[in-house]
Amino acid sequence: MKPFNNAFTIFLSLLVEALPFLLLGVLFSSALLLFVNERNLVKRLPKNPVLGAFAGSLVGFLFPVCECGNVPVARRLLVQGVSPAVAVGFLLAAPTINPIVIWSTWAAFRDRPEIVVLRVVFSLVVATVIGVIFSIQGDLRPLLHPNLVRAMPKLRSETPETEEKPALLKSGTYLLGQSGGTLRLDDATASEDILEAIAPDAVIATNASGKQRWQLFVDNTIAELRELGGVLVLGSAIAAFVQVAVPREAILNLGQGPVTSILVMLGLAALVSICSTVDAFFALSFSSAFTSGSLLAFLVFGPTIDLKSIGLLLSIFRTRAVVYLFILAAQLTFFLTLLVNLHWS
Amino acid sequence: MTNPKPQMTNRLWIPWLDALALAVWGLLMLKYWLTGKLNILIHPAYHWLCVAGGLGLLAVGGYKIWQLWKQHRRVRREVEALSESHLTLFPPGWGSMLLLVAAIAGLSITPRPFASQTALEVGVTDLLSATRSQPQSFRSLKKPEERTLIDWIRTLNVYPEPDEYTGDRVSVEGFVIHPPEFPKGYMVISRFVITCCAADAYPIGLPVKLPPNSPKYPADTWLLVQGEMITETLVDVRKLVIQATQIETIPEPKNPYDY
Repeated sequence: MKPFNNAFTIFLSLLVEALPFLLLGVLFSSALLLFVNERNLVKRLPKNPVLGAFAGSLVGFLFPVCECGNVPVARRLLVQGVSPAVAVGFLLAAPTINPIVIWSTWAAFRDRPEIVVLRVVFSLVVATVIGVIFSIQGDLRPLLHPNLVRAMPKLRSETPETEEKPALLKSGTYLLGQSGGTLRLDDATASEDILEAIAPDAVIATNASGKQRWQLFVDNTIAELRELGGVLVLGSAIAAFVQVAVPREAILNLGQGPVTSILVMLGLAALVSICSTVDAFFALSFSSAFTSGSLLAFLVFGPTIDLKSIGLLLSIFRTRAVVYLFILAAQLTFFLTLLVNLHWS
Repeated sequence: MTNPKPQMTNRLWIPWLDALALAVWGLLMLKYWLTGKLNILIHPAYHWLCVAGGLGLLAVGGYKIWQLWKQHRRVRREVEALSESHLTLFPPGWGSMLLLVAAIAGLSITPRPFASQTALEVGVTDLLSATRSQPQSFRSLKKPEERTLIDWIRTLNVYPEPDEYTGDRVSVEGFVIHPPEFPKGYMVISRFVITCCAADAYPIGLPVKLPPNSPKYPADTWLLVQGEMITETLVDVRKLVIQATQIETIPEPKNPYDY
């Protein structure tokens, strides 16, 4: 019974510590769905790829969403015409670079402030670099999900390179046929319709009465708590099980190697899919046995891409692009955190 | 569209389940707070957060239950709207079911603090070596006899030479561990330390040399050990050891951890 009791205590302690943060994160993201004016925001973001990617990474401070909330927001931003650098930067960094996640990481690693700081720095670096890489593509359309491409407004002359790409022209024609107007008119009307089709919450939110908004807020809060809470329960169960059931020798063997520890944690990050608001507590339960670099690898890579978010990402990107994102994020995280391990040991 | 009724009736439960799962979690967190069990789970610095979270979950779940109760008929529409507008990871009802089962387990099984067996599994080497908290510029301002176990371990981390402390008065509380490799007449007095929650608990401890003719204290007994510091070679290593002069059995403290 002892191992069971210990596992149960760990399991409950993770949940009791994490749920308040999850609730706070969900309340924020539900409120922002209603109160942040995305259109104004989009107009103010810089066009330069590097600045754009960096700015996109920091937009998370306005949208404290974890990796489930960021995909719908990124989708809406793309539909409203942000540059690829901004969208990808936002997508990868928002789940980490936001006040609630930084606070919960601080709560978990109070005695190791370097973990908190490096998590933020590395996430910014990874998101900005990948944002810039994706901006080389110039126009993201070939990498995006066809449904989303149809919803995007930009087919004007301000992006001349689009004319060279036949695939894009095809989607443009389609868009024309759908709305039956000129391309310029498209921007104002068609994207609103399609936005409603793919992101109904956003449109309902802007048009709703006070009472409807409140209801939307409540329902969105409950839906996110249900989903993310479910994943949290599974994640906590896994963390508790590993701590109690896997022999400590085995964990130490894996966890002390500068390379193996990072690989194990990257794998765990991809598998466990725990929400970024509370993943610091999961990492914490490995902190006595694993290298600092590997804990960082978990904290930096997990929020960018994991098993759960792949499904969501496929609603934005084609498979090819998700694979690029996955590989780039994993490689960058690996090299950055390996530096930490080698430098500190 | 031929016969959607059975599925619909099934799905009517889902909003109730969602709301109930959240409300029960709110109750559980408040219960831990009221019964003092929160001490076993998380660091006191975060108790307020747990209380606020519990109240918040109870409010959200309770409000939804009240709403569902009041507007029985609107549910059908909401179920349809929700299933369309949200990206779901689980089949309907699963997320809430997981939450609810965890909360019910929490209500029915009382969490227990870790014991000597766990400390031994983590390893006596860990037990007597470094703590994780970095003692950067740590200086213990406390008199030796006022130091707790963790104060002692932190002091030792900064000045590891055991002879430094010879003759210092000691008075510490903790539970008993009997490492198998220790000779007769010796044991370890130990406590778990947490920085955030039970998931990061790790044991610290100091060896105790029992006075002659003292009874054998069973593992996990909580003791107040008083005596003075000496240096001895235990299991081939020179160590700081408490030479006990007085040992008193005490009840398990409400808050078993040290910080």
